[in-house]
Amino acid sequence: MSEHITFWYGCNVLRHGDIIHACLDILRALGYEPEPVGGVDYCCGTVKDANQTAAGGMATRTVGKLNARAAPVVVWCPSCHSHMHDFMARTNDRHFDMTYVVELLHAKRERLGPLLVRELPMRVFVHQHIGFNDLVPVNRMVPELLRLIPGVEVVEADYVAPGYMCASFAAIPRALEDINNNTARSARAAGADAVVTVFHQCYRELVGLDAAGAIPVYNYIHLIARAMGLAYEDEYKAWKRAGEGAAALIGAERIAKVGIQFYERAILPELKKRPKLQKSDPGS
Amino acid sequence: MSARAPIGQRLKEFEEREIERILGACTRCGKCYEVCPMAQYSKAPASDSKAVVGGVHAVLRGAAGTPEALGWIGVCTRSGVCVPACPENVDPKMMMRLARMTALGGRGLPAQLPVKEDPDYFDRVRAFARLQLSDDELKDWT
Repeated sequence: MSEHITFWYGCNVLRHGDIIHACLDILRALGYEPEPVGGVDYCCGTVKDANQTAAGGMATRTVGKLNARAAPVVVWCPSCHSHMHDFMARTNDRHFDMTYVVELLHAKRERLGPLLVRELPMRVFVHQHIGFNDLVPVNRMVPELLRLIPGVEVVEADYVAPGYMCASFAAIPRALEDINNNTARSARAAGADAVVTVFHQCYRELVGLDAAGAIPVYNYIHLIARAMGLAYEDEYKAWKRAGEGAAALIGAERIAKVGIQFYERAILPELKKRPKLQKSDPGS
Repeated sequence: MSARAPIGQRLKEFEEREIERILGACTRCGKCYEVCPMAQYSKAPASDSKAVVGGVHAVLRGAAGTPEALGWIGVCTRSGVCVPACPENVDPKMMMRLARMTALGGRGLPAQLPVKEDPDYFDRVRAFARLQLSDDELKDWT
């Protein structure tokens, strides 16, 4: 009998429906019955540093909703996971066990390995950050998971980015530029065919390297899913590569759901954004 | 009928206790600043690590922070290298997070750093959900 779990995916991973859907299939294949929850109504409140009344209210609301589900919680988002650890669980009555998704997949790797049947011949550079690794050792666990995939070779990383994920560098553009350049340079210097991110917040930023033609970029879930034969399309990458032309891929019907004005003001600039690569970079 | 606590009260009380603990334990040795990989990106890099931590303490107390302290607070992205470097187990990562909340005005004190909240942030999350999930998934998952 499969175990019910709540899969708390977070907010911004909603850019990547393929990651959410693939995670659910992977969890099912490992014997769980995941019930996904996320989006604004389940926001942890970590983005509200400038308003602790709002942050506290959001945290209490979300802990209450997760309590009501009466199931262990598997977390996708590193921001939600660390905010729960640092603040939410220390200021609310939490009644559920919580695991970060990488921890769970790693703990189940003996069961996961035989499911990874499709060969993916590629050398990958795992994009790592210094932070979060103290809470969950993802910088060790994700390469170990990737090595379960037939054909995948993980090259040694000689660059570890500061911070705990790329999206928090949006307000520090010089640092984000360094991360993009150092990641592309280190990956190529190590002979990697591709960069693999641990977090969706890094994928969202670094997929710009892919769109700019510097080096292919994936999230680790993309590779696990492909090795399992799961055929979800990475639409976000396709939209990002298309840039101005993304509307044709998304289609008028879906754009109408968000409104053309909102799409052009709040979504299209993100899809058109490209990293500033140094001129000496061969991929620039 | 029991009175409900004001929204966010437990969080604010926790933060106040943590600030009191940090201010009591921190000796301003400056190790946290010295090991920080983000200090190089500060708008006002500091040469005196002890002084910059003193400036962070001022922010936590609700006083004006020095440009060097505010510059460092503004670039903290939670690398956490400071945590094992601290000889007093202060948890400088928590110190900087609380300083950031305070400097942004989040704890009810005057803001000392510009608040750059994206007005489209949550609507963008909702929009991507509509682009990526089916109607049933939207109804059941969000």
